Amino acid sequence: MSLDNILNHWSDYRKGSEEGGHHDYEHRWAMAINLDICNGCNACSTACYAENNLAVVGKERFEKGQAMHWLRIERYWDQQDKDYPEQGASFLPMMCQHCGSATCEPVCPVAATYHTPDGLNAQVYNRCIGSRYCSNNCPFRVRYFNFYSYYESAWPEPMEQQLNPDISVRDKGVMEKCTFCVQRIRTAKDKAKMEDREVQDGEVMTACAQACPTSAIVFGDTMDENSVVSKLWKKHQVERGVYAKTKLAKKDKDLRGYRIFEELNVDPSVMYLDRVREDI
Amino acid sequence: MVTEKDINEQIAWAKINTDVLESMENPRPAFWVTLAVCVAMVACAVLAEYIQYTEGMGTANLNNPHMWDMYIAAFVFWIGMSHSGTLLSAILHLIHADWRKPIYRFAEAMTTFSLLTAGLFPMIHLGRVWNLYWVLPYVSDRGHWPNFRSPLVWDAFAISTYLTASMLFLFVGMIPDLAICRDNTSGWRKKLYTVLSLGWVGSDRQWRHFRKIYLLMACFLIPLAVSVHSIVSADFAMSIMPGWHITSFPPYFVAGALYSGCAAIITLFILLRYFFRFEDYMTLAIMEKTCKLTFAIAMVWTYLNLIEFASIWYGHDMYNKELLIAKATGPYAPIFWTMIFCGSVLPFTLAFQKLRRHMPTMFVVSLFLNLGMFFERWMIVAPTLSMSQEPHQWDVMYGSIIEWAIVFGSFGWFGMLFLIFVKVFPSVSMYEVKEMVFHRKRSAGEEDLARMTDHSKPVTQTTGGEGA
Amino acid sequence: MSKKRIMGLFSDFEEAHDAIADIRRNAVPGLTVDNVTMTSPIEHPEVEEILGDRPVHIQKFTLFGAIFGVTFGFLFLSGAQATFLVQPQGGKAVIPLPSNFTLMYEMLIFFGVWFTFFAFLFLSGLLKKRSALYSEKVSLDQVAIIVEIDGSLDEPVKELFQKHKVLEIREEVVQ
Repeated sequence: MSLDNILNHWSDYRKGSEEGGHHDYEHRWAMAINLDICNGCNACSTACYAENNLAVVGKERFEKGQAMHWLRIERYWDQQDKDYPEQGASFLPMMCQHCGSATCEPVCPVAATYHTPDGLNAQVYNRCIGSRYCSNNCPFRVRYFNFYSYYESAWPEPMEQQLNPDISVRDKGVMEKCTFCVQRIRTAKDKAKMEDREVQDGEVMTACAQACPTSAIVFGDTMDENSVVSKLWKKHQVERGVYAKTKLAKKDKDLRGYRIFEELNVDPSVMYLDRVREDI
Repeated sequence: MVTEKDINEQIAWAKINTDVLESMENPRPAFWVTLAVCVAMVACAVLAEYIQYTEGMGTANLNNPHMWDMYIAAFVFWIGMSHSGTLLSAILHLIHADWRKPIYRFAEAMTTFSLLTAGLFPMIHLGRVWNLYWVLPYVSDRGHWPNFRSPLVWDAFAISTYLTASMLFLFVGMIPDLAICRDNTSGWRKKLYTVLSLGWVGSDRQWRHFRKIYLLMACFLIPLAVSVHSIVSADFAMSIMPGWHITSFPPYFVAGALYSGCAAIITLFILLRYFFRFEDYMTLAIMEKTCKLTFAIAMVWTYLNLIEFASIWYGHDMYNKELLIAKATGPYAPIFWTMIFCGSVLPFTLAFQKLRRHMPTMFVVSLFLNLGMFFERWMIVAPTLSMSQEPHQWDVMYGSIIEWAIVFGSFGWFGMLFLIFVKVFPSVSMYEVKEMVFHRKRSAGEEDLARMTDHSKPVTQTTGGEGA
Repeated sequence: MSKKRIMGLFSDFEEAHDAIADIRRNAVPGLTVDNVTMTSPIEHPEVEEILGDRPVHIQKFTLFGAIFGVTFGFLFLSGAQATFLVQPQGGKAVIPLPSNFTLMYEMLIFFGVWFTFFAFLFLSGLLKKRSALYSEKVSLDQVAIIVEIDGSLDEPVKELFQKHKVLEIREEVVQ
């Protein structure tokens, strides 16, 4: 009975993320993106379009800001860097950060976005009613809304043949975003289960990581201590629940790891490694 | 200073009945013109909504940083406008300010209909409106509930509570008047009023219970109205965005709500006074009191605005501070300064008695006050989205013709419902105006008596509602 | 003896008040103030006083509704949350008290208002067919006093009404 349930689990149900929450994670998928070797080629973004059935919206709608690129390459020019124009822009691949305490989650009125036991921030297209509050409350602005029925024009015949059958094509009125290629995670987990073993590091590779020519994107499970991602996170002293301040206290030039907007306390799952610029 | 009575105490009760009943039959022609304009505006909005519904939300120019725009601004605006009617009516009832009596009925109707208008916007703005009912906590065989953490669900609870409570308040207050209508009409009106008056005969038992329920509902409505707009402000204040996550939002929103509601009361006061020839009831003295109240609330709003700016300025939160500077100097600066002018400078016209008593001036001023308040809501919603934490997604955006048509149409929708209401139901509370006249006459009589018997004391003239 | 009801219409509220006061002073033997009903076009707390203490019980229902709203609200919300663990949390607890309190507040008022309203409908004697002893003048500007009496008291009551300048007297026989 529900009342018994409340009384028996009261202390468990009252735990926020600070006390560990009540989640029992099986995996915590995460990324490490080395900006030093990212050359801004956009292959990751293209791979994402192909893998995840992202609609190409056309020039006009793109200019209006109605594009659907789950993974975008952000370009920044440092104003202080006028002395070294040949160094060009810095690039930053930006996708859903799959925050541990995601701000998009509590604001959804219908519980269409939730946290999976894999540590993913999942979007349930069928449940979404399109209030768009999640996108408004996302500091990274990585949620994309189907402003039109894009599928009607995005894949003229015979291009619909290239659609990925593992995932759906979304109609107007729902929110979508990077899933960390959840369909690949699913396949790998199913395979591992059938072979009665754990998912191995490197077994799951997101489309962006696979396509990156310089291997700037590393994907893996931070709960697996031997995974490449875990080691990178540890090496750069980036830890879940530990925020910028505690880390900056140690001055070490090799510590390039950071998570974007760590100070907002949202606990992102993507670590970036800062670009190293030449000092003169 | 011109001092005058709120209402002429010598007015005959039969005249009150006939005047108000007459208003429901024979308004001035301007009434029909206004109604026609409102219907036309609704027609435009329906067309625009049809396009938006079939093509998608992109037709409103919404884009990735600007997921919300004027629809949400209009939603907050209409919720805000709903506040003055019921809240002021309830407060003035509790403090026995009897000058509310001739004007509260239409003010409460304004509450109900602006809530009905506000309720349209979450639907208009929703991507998949056909699934709107998912925000309601119904028992589903899949064990799926709405997310009770979401301020949007709080909105659904708060607004449905407020809508039912304020409709009941309006309805209960109208029962004795419906009985009057029942006794004096024929045809479909008689049938309607007979059903709605629920068999009211005015017996002492009914009046005693009536007095109690009215008091109890007024007590419920005051905290309810405050909570409703606090919860609407939580849509923003509970978020993590600069310019939204501001602690002073709940009182700021409540003050803004009262402000735009009072301005709307002035607008509708002038319109009804003209349409229905209500010069005897909606007197200049009551107009002046409403204007003074509006002025006071305008100053509260101004103060809270300044407090918000000051706390951002001294808070050294760089996102917030840069956003504030961008609002005042960036591409949205004209709208920002119009808002400041309409919201904080223009209300000073209400401080001058000459202007207060000049109906055309007040009509225009009250419209501009509400324009300022609409811009205020828009300045809360849109610039934050234009300039959030993520600099790559900074953008400037203005609504499309579709969006404008729907927002304009909402004014027509409100006007249409309101005008139909005042045509079908008495927009001045007859029984309460009688009470007002009765009590004022008696207290005036007692004063005369006191003056006659006690010559030694200086006579101090007090009129009933002064200072309330 | 058959029972009958007599209604007297008064235009002067003071006279109506005095008439009831007379009944209270037992001017008509056998008629108590409990059998007197007054109908009036406006709310008259001071005139009603003369009718004696007639209690109103709406507020009890209001209190009950409010308490019901709060407790039901809490149990409903936390029960729903505790059985729906996949709901998004964003780092918050499964049963987040602050947001539940917000909703309980609304439910308090929601149920309080509805209980009050229904209590009003049933306790105030609305939703009944109006008796024939109703004058449309009451909704205009006159006060009516309705007394329920044995037939034998017919004359003294009418006399009393006449003494207080009654405008019109109507009567009906109660089965």
